[in-house]
Amino acid sequence: MNPDISHPGISRRQFLKGSAITPLALLLAGSGIAAVYLRPADAGGFTLRPPGAIAEKRFLAACVKCGKCAQACPYTSIKMAGGEAGVGIGTPVIIPRDMPCYLCSDLPCVKACPSGALDKKLEDIEKIRMGTAVIIDRESCLSIRGLRCEVCYRQCPLIDKAITIEPRHNTRTGEHTIMEPVVHKEKCVGCGICEKSCVLPQSVIVVQRTVAIQKDSYEF
Amino acid sequence: MNFNRWWIPRRTVQLSILALIASPLFGMTFFRGNLAAADLFGIPLADPLAFLQALIGGRVFVLSYLGSALLVTFLYFMLGGRSFCGWICPVGLITECADKLRRRLGTGEATMSLTANRWSLTLVVATVAVTGIPFFEVLSPIGIVSRSIAFAALTPLLAVAGLLVVEIFVSRRVWCRSLCPLGGFYSILARFSPVRVGFIASRCTNCGDCLSACPVEEVLAPVLERRAVQVTAGDCSRCLACIDSCPTKALKIDLFHT
Repeated sequence: MNPDISHPGISRRQFLKGSAITPLALLLAGSGIAAVYLRPADAGGFTLRPPGAIAEKRFLAACVKCGKCAQACPYTSIKMAGGEAGVGIGTPVIIPRDMPCYLCSDLPCVKACPSGALDKKLEDIEKIRMGTAVIIDRESCLSIRGLRCEVCYRQCPLIDKAITIEPRHNTRTGEHTIMEPVVHKEKCVGCGICEKSCVLPQSVIVVQRTVAIQKDSYEF
Repeated sequence: MNFNRWWIPRRTVQLSILALIASPLFGMTFFRGNLAAADLFGIPLADPLAFLQALIGGRVFVLSYLGSALLVTFLYFMLGGRSFCGWICPVGLITECADKLRRRLGTGEATMSLTANRWSLTLVVATVAVTGIPFFEVLSPIGIVSRSIAFAALTPLLAVAGLLVVEIFVSRRVWCRSLCPLGGFYSILARFSPVRVGFIASRCTNCGDCLSACPVEEVLAPVLERRAVQVTAGDCSRCLACIDSCPTKALKIDLFHT
């Protein structure tokens, strides 16, 4: 078939170039970008946000990704998430093992936030609730194994409030004491200094999502 | 190359914006943030569309943030809304450079309707209202480019590279012309802006140089067809390339009149 006869004035090539490729290419590019970036932001589990961050779902919309909190942080604790964070791309995250939050008393990150994603009503660093430290690997924890480590306890900025040492008898040796660090979630701010300080290659104490304090009938 | 032209101040401003975004890396403190929200010499500035998305999706309201968004809205309104696209936006600068390459290659002549950005703007507002996902702030190449400068976040630049491939090989400046929701927002604003490109019909020789210089040549049609004395369409980015290109000085900067 001769295209010049059946389609006078416009060749198949011209037709494709003019009208089909543009929407097709846009569709491809659009779906490619969407597949990369429209993933759930918490695909990698809990994300530690800077102090004062509002509830995660609202935070993702309220944060305008300007990076002023990260620029205000004197310890470069706050990093800007990349494409791996899905819809959380460009939002501020703290990775305690790299650099925890050192709880500046003047909260420069909160002051820098223009949009209210970090709530300016937060003024007292003890009221920060970024998350809660949890000992996720009791078998590896040196203190729980009976050694005198307690580094997380000593490093905790809320020592004797957020982390206490609970001594108990070491039944393995029969004559020593286990000095177990215990996190109290009603005091822990989730700064991650304990996670950073853990001396083991992989921190056994990790900041996780705060579980709300549960009311029950067993008050004592 | 004539140096008594608008492209010199325009390029200077565009490059200064890149320098401003990079300045905190060099220990300078007079600028913080990026084009979504910033502090410049202590003056808070904010992208009004980012403000809207934070307000709708995050249900947060900070009075000072509204103030800085209104300040920016007012400034762009006075200069012509899409002057943001022509003078400030780093993506505009990048796609302009890519467009020079496209012209050399002679590819991607297809254009898309200018009004598509009203629909992408509608889509962004509807998405954030329904799902709470600030669609544009997530995908925005403006944010990606800004963060790649300020925080060396380079991987997401792949999305911008994909966009450039589309622009070079398929459709001329399709992102800035037709798809950018922020462009759609500012083009609605710019319809009523006082600073415009004016037309002196008696000087025009119909050479068409302005049409080939203009990134959104549709906006010139009403004046070239002698139906208007000013470019009134909101899509004009006030890049003033038409004024630079006119051999007979038939185009000029004008103030709103009928």
